[in-house]
Amino acid sequence: MLNDKNIYKPIRARLADVIDESPLIKTFVLFPEEEFSFKTGQFIEVSVDGIGEAPFTPSSSPLITEKLEVTVMKTGYVTEYMHKLKPGALMGIRGPFGRGYPVEKFIGKEVLILGGGCGLAPIRSLLYALESIKDQLEKVILCYGSKTPADCIYKPLFARLNSIEKFETYRTVDKAEEGWDGPVGVATALLNKISVKIENSVAVVCGPPVMMKFGTIRLLELGYKNDQIYLSMEKNMSCGLGKCGHCMMGEFFACKDGPVFTYDELKHTPEIWK
Amino acid sequence: MYYLTISKEDWDKSLGQLLLSGTIYAPVQNEFGQDYELLKLSDIQNIIYNKPKPATPLKNFFLPIKENVTSERDAEKPRIIMGIPNCDIEALNLTDEIYLDDIFNDLFYRKRRENTILISSDCFGIQEHCHCLSYDIRPYAMDKADMSVIRKDEEVILRVISSKGEELAKKLSAAVPLTDKNVLTFMESKQIETENLVREANKGLPDYKKTGVLVQKAEKEVWEKYSSNCVSCGACTTICPTCTCFLLIDKPGFEKVKQVDACQYPGFERVAGGEDALFELHNRFKNRYMCKYVWKPQKFKAIACTGCGRCIEACIGKINKNELFMELV
Repeated sequence: MLNDKNIYKPIRARLADVIDESPLIKTFVLFPEEEFSFKTGQFIEVSVDGIGEAPFTPSSSPLITEKLEVTVMKTGYVTEYMHKLKPGALMGIRGPFGRGYPVEKFIGKEVLILGGGCGLAPIRSLLYALESIKDQLEKVILCYGSKTPADCIYKPLFARLNSIEKFETYRTVDKAEEGWDGPVGVATALLNKISVKIENSVAVVCGPPVMMKFGTIRLLELGYKNDQIYLSMEKNMSCGLGKCGHCMMGEFFACKDGPVFTYDELKHTPEIWK
Repeated sequence: MYYLTISKEDWDKSLGQLLLSGTIYAPVQNEFGQDYELLKLSDIQNIIYNKPKPATPLKNFFLPIKENVTSERDAEKPRIIMGIPNCDIEALNLTDEIYLDDIFNDLFYRKRRENTILISSDCFGIQEHCHCLSYDIRPYAMDKADMSVIRKDEEVILRVISSKGEELAKKLSAAVPLTDKNVLTFMESKQIETENLVREANKGLPDYKKTGVLVQKAEKEVWEKYSSNCVSCGACTTICPTCTCFLLIDKPGFEKVKQVDACQYPGFERVAGGEDALFELHNRFKNRYMCKYVWKPQKFKAIACTGCGRCIEACIGKINKNELFMELV
């Protein structure tokens, strides 16, 4: 039975707080005015009134429903306006859309997460979800790279994760600054430092396109199978409903069939791997 | 499905009656050619029957070029659209799949579909670029429309197809069951005649499935060659009965305006970070072919090209997709 819900209409959400994460990245804490929940890895469309709408995967815990957070890099038209907003502003949200991380399939496994830059936003949500089922997981390893130490978002997150049993984190930067004594280089290089039982593992990659490509290639070299690698794809989803066509990736709509795909599903999509 | 017959005079009177309670759109000839017009009583005489085909694709009645999809509005009024060629009727298979899917059905599209009676018109003869049969679409409606009309001199034959068509037929008090075998023979001979014309005009043109295989295999040079005259105007997508990509534009008050968009426009797939999979013209050009003949058939049951030929007519660069396919064969 088809319902009479207007799929294009956003619900209102009050901006409660804006947290500076890095020079270009802020986290927006939103309180939806209607019931709203999402599964980790799904995305929402966030609108700045009268300006535009852009897709973001919430970075907050899917277990908390009264509020949600999106972590946004200032990089385009809508995000520039978002960065000017002050707490108290009214925003619009639509969703949640698409297919998130199949967390239930991670049970009993070692979860390797490779992230870069603002890609840590969806990963943070996933980490919260994994933390809630940590008794059923073997291990969670996070390898994260940022351009500089200052560009690393959620800095307190790493210390907290390291204090959780079964969780390990590794960080690298492209360019060191004073005070940084950790590794320098791409995040993919961190994969050489870790110990993981690949046959009983899944890998999650979320970061800029260059990382999606080389991260996946490295994981395949290490012995991960095509369907053990999960990729979060970034496209310019407009409607989120599998209708507007903007996020078409071959036979898939990133908004409806993704944004989380296995490498097996995307291995023939040339634009990612060329 | 069954046939009724009614005299042209009574049919015209019935249309006049129907105009009192609803809206009718019908193809009439004007100085620019043939297109749907909002029918006035005085225009009933000028309706064109069985001649392919209105300039505008049917999709525009259900998916307007631009509409506010958040504002409150009055209920859609019942309407009849007449004279629709079967290629456009068949295009609704795809738009129905996209806009009436189980999870996200588009309320505006659905209400319009529900409130519209589709009266097709069997094509007698073809236009230069008609190639419906190459994609297994007949030049006459037998199942998807509500009704189809066939004009024979001063007689109008009605093929009643759906329950909505039956409801409409009940209002046509002067219509009687068709019993004259000669009329049926006339109709069938017209169907065969038109089919032969379509076949003759498209000899050697690959079918839909084969086209998909060819498009997938085609080298970059082919796309560069055929896109060299493309100016990214988007006429092909705008006029296509199955292209329905759009953009949501924000207005103050959290209103959303849904506006037709096209993968042929630069920036269609560009993300805020600057990545743009369709930056190069030949990639954009190829995208439309991949979408129509490879990806949509992988994703949907309905086909994404009905062989109406409008994209060929509309192209200001005189790009003819069928020439491209013939080169690939």
